[in-house]
Amino acid sequence: MDKKHIEFLKKDCEDAASWSLDMLEELKNKKIFIAGGTGFLGTWVAEFITYLNDNHQFNVSLTILARNIDSFKNDKKHLTERKDIEFISKDIRNLNELSNDVSFIIHAASSPDNRIHVSNPIDTISIITKGTDNLIDSAFKLPDLKKILYVSSGQIYGRSIPSNKLISESDFGPMDCNKVNSIYSEAKRLAEATCCAYVSQYKLPIVIARPFSFIGPYQSLSKPWAINNFINEALNKKNIRIIGNGEPIRSYMYPADMVVWILKILASGKRNTSYNVGSPYGISLKNVAEKIVQFTDSKVDIDIKYNNDDSSLYVPDISLCQNDLGLKINYDVEETIRRAISWFKL
Amino acid sequence: MRKKVYIHDVSLRDGSHAISHKLDKHQIALYCQAAEKAGVPSVEVGHGNGLGASSIQVGFSRLEDIEMLSIARENLTKTKLAIHVMPGFTTINKDLKKAFEIGVDLVREACHCTEADITERHIAFARDCGKEVIGALMMTHMVSKEILLEEAIKMQSYGAEGIVLYDSAGAYLPENVREKISYLVSGLNIPVGFHAHNNLGMAIANSITAVESGAKIIDGAIRGFGAGAGNAQLEVLAAVLEKMEYETGISLYKILDAAEIAQENIIEELPTIKNLSIISGLSGVFSGFSKPVSRVAKEYELDARDIFVELGRRKVVAGQEDLIVEVALDLKKKNSTFNSSSNG
Amino acid sequence: MKKNKLNIAILGTGNIGTDLLIKVIKSEFLHCSLFVGRNLQSKGMSKAINLGITVSDRSIDILEDNPELYDLVFDATSASQHLKHAVIFQKLGKMVIDLTPARVGILCVPSVNLAECLEENNINTITCGGQASIPLAYALGLVHPNIEYIEVVSAIASKSAGPGTRVNLDEYIETTEKGIQLFSKCKKSKVILILNPADPCIDMQTTIQATIQNPDMSAINAEVNKMVSKIQKFVPGYNLIVPPTFEGNRVIMTVRVKGLGDYLPSYAGNLDIINCAAITIAEEYSKSVLLTRKLK
Repeated sequence: MDKKHIEFLKKDCEDAASWSLDMLEELKNKKIFIAGGTGFLGTWVAEFITYLNDNHQFNVSLTILARNIDSFKNDKKHLTERKDIEFISKDIRNLNELSNDVSFIIHAASSPDNRIHVSNPIDTISIITKGTDNLIDSAFKLPDLKKILYVSSGQIYGRSIPSNKLISESDFGPMDCNKVNSIYSEAKRLAEATCCAYVSQYKLPIVIARPFSFIGPYQSLSKPWAINNFINEALNKKNIRIIGNGEPIRSYMYPADMVVWILKILASGKRNTSYNVGSPYGISLKNVAEKIVQFTDSKVDIDIKYNNDDSSLYVPDISLCQNDLGLKINYDVEETIRRAISWFKL
Repeated sequence: MRKKVYIHDVSLRDGSHAISHKLDKHQIALYCQAAEKAGVPSVEVGHGNGLGASSIQVGFSRLEDIEMLSIARENLTKTKLAIHVMPGFTTINKDLKKAFEIGVDLVREACHCTEADITERHIAFARDCGKEVIGALMMTHMVSKEILLEEAIKMQSYGAEGIVLYDSAGAYLPENVREKISYLVSGLNIPVGFHAHNNLGMAIANSITAVESGAKIIDGAIRGFGAGAGNAQLEVLAAVLEKMEYETGISLYKILDAAEIAQENIIEELPTIKNLSIISGLSGVFSGFSKPVSRVAKEYELDARDIFVELGRRKVVAGQEDLIVEVALDLKKKNSTFNSSSNG
Repeated sequence: MKKNKLNIAILGTGNIGTDLLIKVIKSEFLHCSLFVGRNLQSKGMSKAINLGITVSDRSIDILEDNPELYDLVFDATSASQHLKHAVIFQKLGKMVIDLTPARVGILCVPSVNLAECLEENNINTITCGGQASIPLAYALGLVHPNIEYIEVVSAIASKSAGPGTRVNLDEYIETTEKGIQLFSKCKKSKVILILNPADPCIDMQTTIQATIQNPDMSAINAEVNKMVSKIQKFVPGYNLIVPPTFEGNRVIMTVRVKGLGDYLPSYAGNLDIINCAAITIAEEYSKSVLLTRKLK
């Protein structure tokens, strides 16, 4: 990553800090352990925490655990060559113990990439379920444990929620456990149940975040998701292809909002509570494509193929985070897409 | 509004099998021009087994892949240029990158129907390069609809924008088509297609059944020009679909003209359902095996039908043409023991 | 420490590593002093623990910290990891047999260039298809230098190809093609891999076809037979099922490889042959080291 990228991220962090400093007091001078810390979410936490350390004397130290940290180390030297971040290269399933000074834990170890889920479903289940059990078990003996945040997924709500309303934390829909594309969601459900078991049996302070969709820095355009493909196609001057009718409604949260939300849930989320993390501003895929064409200023067409009549809605109700934790959305749909595109154009 | 069916033209790829992959530049140019005029949505070009497949194993093509694709590219504008790709034959570095430089629009990423996960890397690469990708499951008569859906979902997750079921052996009856296509249509978010072979004379009937069961993509070849007994005859498909009031975007007169051009300039022998094709359809062996089987049968003085039946028993898949010689040697041995014992 | 055996460490406790362990236990010349990976709960680990082998979940770290415990390492992890391991073993001056496609060290086909490889300290076993086909390509090259073109088609049981193999078919093809050219000195090579889902699983089958004008079939037959019996000494399940046959303008032959069925099932002849090659290299190295020790 070069200077342009680092400056861009710094601006995002500045904006995030401008409204969140007071909310994150509890994290000051603490050690945070992040499992799966080299992914999208973990990298953002590292980015923002180091910003807070450098500019607002947060004095937080981070331990990042990941299976493979080499490419991360090569690519993100501004994060890896620092004293306040330590790296452990290990499979979460083989973790034995945590350092005694860890106060907060973020468990974000499992890829949301559905290509991996279907190519290696057995490992997908194993990392999510065994990894969660092993991490919480390792955290059990920590003397100063304040909170464990389990990063689950908006996908656990199931496939077909019949009503057209935003999804709130108790809106579980049906899910077919015998389909290979349910494996990720089912494993995440079991991991949440595991959290519930530890809370119930040992009174551990565990909270759960259920992320929806994001677009912006540290997302990869080669992920198999609609908006990522659309931007990739537009930037490559190819027509944007929409497989269905363009009517499904999605929402996209800008990562600078996400990182504040995640850290606030970690700092103040109530034990045994699950929180949706995402943007409540729904937009149809067709409109997403139109905005991308507009903001990339590319002369490409939008080719809607009408191959299915899916018009589902996958947008979170975020009143719990808003009311209980005082969180808010700072980037509306347009601003999120616009800023994401300027990042990918760098 | 009339319902749409997308007809994908495989003449210059599947047809390569029928002329031992000897397509020349003139033929490719002529046919591409004719297909373009007729409004064919996409034309697949290359060696019968796909990009990077030219080899002793499945036969050498007259032209290099890049020569075939370049000449096709020069003669296509609205019609998309498509390639057939099989991991195990094709690699990204050796083949795909070059094809993309020439300007291929559409990739049919193919594999045996139970091995979808080998296509992950290629599909991701093609999508990252902004190409349209359709997943192709071959020899689909060999497994159940449940397994097909499972594999199709994998390809869908990798980024495939459609899934085509190949009846590579021409073994389907309409009821099989109905069962499998409708099951996939209900289980996938992307369009489903069907690629017929005519071994049992069912290519058009099967293709129409597929459309009635919800398929949106149908493969056809001009005059049926394809491996073995040939594919669904494209101009017939266009006509029947028109009669059934489907919209294909193909001009009937012009596609009939294209058929004349192909028959005069490319097709050496119009596909007919030969005895061996019938046997291969019944035994469920890939149609592309019929030429090499006949050659080996002649060489080893065996009945080609016996070789086919034995290949079917061993469940061979495309690319295992080397097994033909082994089967021939085995049969030869059995024959000679039989002869010597009957003599003794 | 066993006096008459060389101490070896196995790095990586997956199927390949565990099968190597069983083969080492059977060997007259090798003793497994360390079996290391990252997960004590893995199947391979628990098998090793049950067999009374010293194990560790500290992977490369324990080998780096305790070089006195072993003389030779099998690296059965992954190509990207081997790149890092190679540097460490180089520093420690340890002999490594690398079973990943990393290609850091000399490419080795034991029946062809074993002696030359033992001079080096990082030896790569190429690919399974390479171990099956390169010796025969080499035999052809002995009779006919400057062969125009050699083609290798391998069919393996679908079940014997794990997730790693499946996403890396391209690398398999390119590495094997390089190996064929290097050893046979042919001008061009092509490799095709077919995953066969047939049930019951097929044994690995590899066909070598070479374009040769006017081949000397009796010389080819002699070299090929010599090579096959050489390979059979360490891979008993290696069989020539179609002997060199001249057809048109090409010479064709086919081998079938049935595995020993030590830890891997016997249809996984593709994995077995690469392990057998690694063991052969290690045993030869052991013999030479032990001999030097004795002389001292």
